Amino acid sequence: MSASGPSGERAPHTPRDELADATAHGEVYLRRLRQAQLALSLSALTAFGALFGVLPIALYLLPVLDRVHLLGVPVALWLLVIPLFPMFFGIGLLYARRADALDESFRELVRRR
Amino acid sequence: MIAILAVAGVTFGTVGLGAWGVRFARTTSDLLVASRAVTPWWNAAAISGEYLSAASFLGIAGLEMKLGAGALWQPLGFTAGYLALLLFVAAPLRRFGSYTIPDFVQARLRSTRLRSLASAIVLLIGVFYLVPQLKGAGITLGFVTGAPYWVGVTLVGAVVAVNVGLGGMRGITYVQAFQFWLKVFAISVPACILLVHLGGLPGRATLFGGELPHAGAHGLVVHLDSAQRVEFPARTRYLLNGTAHMARAGESMTLPAGRLALGPGAAVPVAEGTHALRGARWARPVAGSGTSSPLFVYSLLLATFLGTMGLPHILVRFYTNPDGRAARHTTVRVLGLLGMFYAFPSVYGALGRVLTPQLYLTGATDTVVLQVPQAAWPGTVGELLGATLAAGAFAAFLSTSSGLLISIAGTLSHDVWPSIDGAHPTTVSIRRRRFRVAAGAGMVLPVVLALGAQGIDIGVLVGWAFVIAASTFCPMFLLGIWWTGLTARGASWGMLSGALVATAGILLDLTLGEAQGPAGALLAQPAIVSVPIAFAVMIAGSLSSREHPDFGPEMLALHAPEGLGLAQREQAHAELTPGAVA
Repeated sequence: MSASGPSGERAPHTPRDELADATAHGEVYLRRLRQAQLALSLSALTAFGALFGVLPIALYLLPVLDRVHLLGVPVALWLLVIPLFPMFFGIGLLYARRADALDESFRELVRRR
Repeated sequence: MIAILAVAGVTFGTVGLGAWGVRFARTTSDLLVASRAVTPWWNAAAISGEYLSAASFLGIAGLEMKLGAGALWQPLGFTAGYLALLLFVAAPLRRFGSYTIPDFVQARLRSTRLRSLASAIVLLIGVFYLVPQLKGAGITLGFVTGAPYWVGVTLVGAVVAVNVGLGGMRGITYVQAFQFWLKVFAISVPACILLVHLGGLPGRATLFGGELPHAGAHGLVVHLDSAQRVEFPARTRYLLNGTAHMARAGESMTLPAGRLALGPGAAVPVAEGTHALRGARWARPVAGSGTSSPLFVYSLLLATFLGTMGLPHILVRFYTNPDGRAARHTTVRVLGLLGMFYAFPSVYGALGRVLTPQLYLTGATDTVVLQVPQAAWPGTVGELLGATLAAGAFAAFLSTSSGLLISIAGTLSHDVWPSIDGAHPTTVSIRRRRFRVAAGAGMVLPVVLALGAQGIDIGVLVGWAFVIAASTFCPMFLLGIWWTGLTARGASWGMLSGALVATAGILLDLTLGEAQGPAGALLAQPAIVSVPIAFAVMIAGSLSSREHPDFGPEMLALHAPEGLGLAQREQAHAELTPGAVA
């Protein structure tokens, strides 16, 4: 009935270690995959920070962007309303493709062994 | 009249579709099969539909009108939150197979005591987030029918509680997806039609120049229902119940109830707590002080960026994705869909500054989205557009508050109740009855709080929920997923200290009123302090733990891609599906 699921009444779900059984080096590989995924996520975060995170301080330091108008609206407002949403989508799309590729190469690695 | 029909249509349509749809998703396998058939686009629309709340539909434009363009950082943060979720949480969480935050906490950290703490925080965030939804319902129903504020709050609270209790809206991906498109239609089409009708943004001097919000060419008449404390930003002549008065610039006074008339172009007096800003200052996204200061903006962005992943009603929906890869691609689409919606609320805030300046006087800027159409285009067209917006706003309250109440009721019936009577219910019928009681009980406190919160902006109320989520669950997720060293002790210390610092800031801000300077900004938006504290305490607590269990199996479950023959995982998911206990 509840969205919180029945797992409270049962032992927490115990993950299997077939991977470790299947390959002697499974754990090492998995740690490498995790580190590679984390590095990818952090680089995407850095891109996000460089493109978006600097905007508030840039607008603060460059009040000229409030005075210059484009089609009657200050440039600073255009920057806030229009280009950032597609940028988030773009970063997300690039990230998801790379992350899938990392997963896929991990699968290849495990299957080959 | 049209608006009443539109609102009633949305409400009954949602309740009806939910009740009808739930027949088809009763069993676990039905739900699983259905979820396999749901494409990432449908899923993404459903997630976005549940996410776009009163804060998005009414709150952003209201805050923008009141405080200026600095409010437009909020939708950016609301959207960017899904980027954080995508980069660090979406795929591992889907693979792990816990459906709620308490489930995840218990399974990852192997602690039932921590589960109780997580449940308490879920309730805290859920209530904080539910209150502004009910406030939105109260003011919208009041606008549409003229009913008093409390009628809308209690009515929508009751409808949602009954609907959730009877099982409507649960797991119904298509209903939520439909609500998303309804909301996008309702916010975008009137905005475009009004902009074309007005020939672009009107009153540029008011919007971006040196002018204060002022009465239009025909003057302004406002009926005050009750006495109102106001400040006159400029020397203004006004008529009160037919008698002429003159106010000095900067004069504060209490206007009695009655009919206030201002001449053409007269600067509008503003309600206490609102600052009358000249256009150029109003249009600055970042300014030297107050709610547009860089410190405040960064703190707000941090709260929304990191808080989204910790909202209790968001997580469940990710399990309609068949695997981790689909979870990623669904989240990318959510980023696109939300961006589409969030381009529009800013239009209403700007139009409202010019067309409905009386809202500065009454302080009811949260209704600006609903008021603008009839002010811009009096007559049938304006009424029709206003009805569209009211319907969209209602869709927003219904979907978000249903999702929140499901989380609250689930936690109450599942975690709180057994801890009181000491026994877990064994039969499905007892669980179902408990969930129904919990859905009713869980709505009481939010309704009571919402009745007292009429004077607080929706955007501000929602902001608090994000701060608490960012200071508690976000560090727990990020460290729990990516760091094997996180222990139960570290997580509980960190979540407790994050919750304490965040709530202390909010409560101080409420009691002290409007504090000035950087300290005031930090109290109103404490994330930039509380989030680092939560992270630091969580790491320190983990490192100082006496026991360091090997969390290898949990890491495997979180990070191993599908398709490696880990067949049992699929079964575990089937057992854990919420529909299994329906």
